[in-house]
Amino acid sequence: MSENKTLQIIQDGLWSNNGIFVQMLGMCPTLAVTTSLENGFGMGLATTFVLIGSNAVISLIRKLIPSDVRIPAYIIVIAAFVTIIDLTMNAYVHDLHKVLGIFIPLIVVNCIILGRAEAYASKNSVGSSALDGISTGLGFTLALSILGATREILGAGTILGIPIAGSDFQPSLVFVLPPGAFIALGFILVGVRWINEKRENKA
Amino acid sequence: MPDFLRMGIVLMVVGLVATAILSTIESVTRDPIAEAKRQETLRMLKMVLPEGFDNEPVSDTVLLADKRLNSKEKPVIFYRGRKGSTDLGAAYVVTAPDGYSGDIEIMMSVLPAGTIHLVQIVAHKETPGLGDKIMPDKGDWLKKFTGKNSTNIRWGVKKDGGDFDQFAGATITPRAVVNAVKRGLDFFVEKKDLIFQPAKQEKKP
Repeated sequence: MSENKTLQIIQDGLWSNNGIFVQMLGMCPTLAVTTSLENGFGMGLATTFVLIGSNAVISLIRKLIPSDVRIPAYIIVIAAFVTIIDLTMNAYVHDLHKVLGIFIPLIVVNCIILGRAEAYASKNSVGSSALDGISTGLGFTLALSILGATREILGAGTILGIPIAGSDFQPSLVFVLPPGAFIALGFILVGVRWINEKRENKA
Repeated sequence: MPDFLRMGIVLMVVGLVATAILSTIESVTRDPIAEAKRQETLRMLKMVLPEGFDNEPVSDTVLLADKRLNSKEKPVIFYRGRKGSTDLGAAYVVTAPDGYSGDIEIMMSVLPAGTIHLVQIVAHKETPGLGDKIMPDKGDWLKKFTGKNSTNIRWGVKKDGGDFDQFAGATITPRAVVNAVKRGLDFFVEKKDLIFQPAKQEKKP
């Protein structure tokens, strides 16, 4: 794996081909759990772990799986990793597990994970696939953290539960409610597009 | 080997390996999960029960069912706090079925004399910023319950002629909580002897 390729994988996952900002995959957990920075970050890390594991294992067994049954085989691998993280989080970070609740098992149906398995891990070596899992996962974590922080600040006037806005700041409830997730994500996407356009014009 | 057989075998092997790994993980995490749940309950009980109990309230429990505790008459765990042989109080969860959105689960602890010691919200899905003003991090509405018994306050929110505050724009949530706590207290007063009955000794073989 050349250095260029490594950099390319990292840049794609984190920004240029970000699962949320560019591919718009995995919208269900993105919109549902990001009521605060902590929730978004925790969900992002859980998904990252699953992505690394599923990408590596799927890449490892990619030559043994007949292409007709690859999707069910991938789903079994992904579901196994999700169950592992579900049990582990329940045992060792019980409080976060309680907050994320139903969304942990739902990582199974996060399109980003099956998307990376199908588009990348089934065609590339174990090393690059694991790296792709890390960078895609961290890109997802980044997106969820930005969205979670935005919604927490606007909707509750706090960050990580600590009040940061003055007492005369009136939090706008709608941002903690489901519609606020769509509104906040929309404006963040505008911001991302704007940054990308600026960079292109410079280049 | 025909294709369909190969596919079947591959899927079976993948499934078997996954099952084997998962059952290992499950057996490793089973005890930590049970311990985490126990700690969580204990933390909650330390918060709501009167201080100074020297028993194990997590395991010193009795199960009772009544439609005043929850409308489905599901058995409710009563955690008892005792010091030696003196009853300090009991904590239990009542469910308000008539919240604004979904059930509100309320943990309440009552002293043997029938006075409320503390009320806590375990779980709710009320509207953030409106109904969730009942939560302790958003005000001290719940503290109003402490020290109340069935007769020293008019039960109900002000709109219904009681003594408990409602919030601007949110009457349903406080009303549901007040009424659920009242029902829970009534049950306590009536069944006090059952609630504090000594724990059944486990027979040793």
